Amino acid sequence: MFTGLIRTVILYILIIAGIRLMGKRQVGELEPSELVLSLIIADLASVPMQDFGIPLLTGVVPILTLLSLTMILSVLTMKSVRFRAVLCGRPSIIIRNGQMDQREMARNRLTVDELLEELRSKGYTDPSMVKYAILETNGQLSVLPYANQKPPTARQLKVAVEEGGLPLVVVSDGQVLSHNLRALGRDRAWLEKRLQERGCKSLEEVFLMLVDESDAIYLARRAV
Amino acid sequence: MKRLWIAAGLLVMLLLASLGNAYYARELTGGMTDRLGEALTLAQAERWEEAEALTRQVYRDWERHHTYFHTTMRHSDTDQVLRAFRAVMEYLAIKEMDQYAAANADLVTQLELLAEMEQPSFVNVF
Repeated sequence: MFTGLIRTVILYILIIAGIRLMGKRQVGELEPSELVLSLIIADLASVPMQDFGIPLLTGVVPILTLLSLTMILSVLTMKSVRFRAVLCGRPSIIIRNGQMDQREMARNRLTVDELLEELRSKGYTDPSMVKYAILETNGQLSVLPYANQKPPTARQLKVAVEEGGLPLVVVSDGQVLSHNLRALGRDRAWLEKRLQERGCKSLEEVFLMLVDESDAIYLARRAV
Repeated sequence: MKRLWIAAGLLVMLLLASLGNAYYARELTGGMTDRLGEALTLAQAERWEEAEALTRQVYRDWERHHTYFHTTMRHSDTDQVLRAFRAVMEYLAIKEMDQYAAANADLVTQLELLAEMEQPSFVNVF
């Protein structure tokens, strides 16, 4: 039991550190090499976790090797466009000027049903509404509609809109996030005054408070 | 570029560690198998006490390196070596030549295989 506990902690920390080193992209969008890495690491970690007859090193050494290789590959893909194309592939244009490129679809083993499903999920029911649909290297379909299919922007409508700025969390679950308050150029006294204005006697009453650069405030009280 | 060098350095370190481990395992078990061979020669010359003392010395050596073997080798393999040691020492105690020779040969093979597993050879990789 003790061995299993310690091994799990060690392997978990090792994997978290490795994933963290690879950057945020690993979490959401997996390139082929990253997907392979994730699958292998999960298996490598689970075996010595369960089987105490195998030394921990037989799990740690391959994981460290894989993480090193991935780091080398990620640096090389950043430095070389050609290497990036080899390792990650190139984006494929599936729809061009409303026309489906059947050869590209076959090459990427993308069926019509899958393509239509992806288009529907992005709000397009008909390929003819789409100027370009590009299958990205991470498997996501980017859809660029014809200009006449896009919703008009405020600039196109010549409407003046107020710029809100980035809202920052100032109070989260009763805790003041001082660094965000400082980033907004405000202090505790300002915060307390704003809370009083909104009828909050103490911070404990606040579940979430967001403030943006134009001092617009969103306040959610804690449920009683 | 710093990440590239760190990763490359780590890979080189792992490679050197694995090669170092292969060399160390061969040297360690090689010394043990040589002495077990000497013990067999002593037993064949009816010098049972000396053969037993030499085998015990090898066993103590094995015990001293227990942590190393346990952290780098499969536990089932190291347990098998331990069982083989115990059998050899029992046959030495009762001075049973045929059984001792067979158990000693088994122990030597186990130790050789233990080191062989770690060697950077084509056969091991594939």
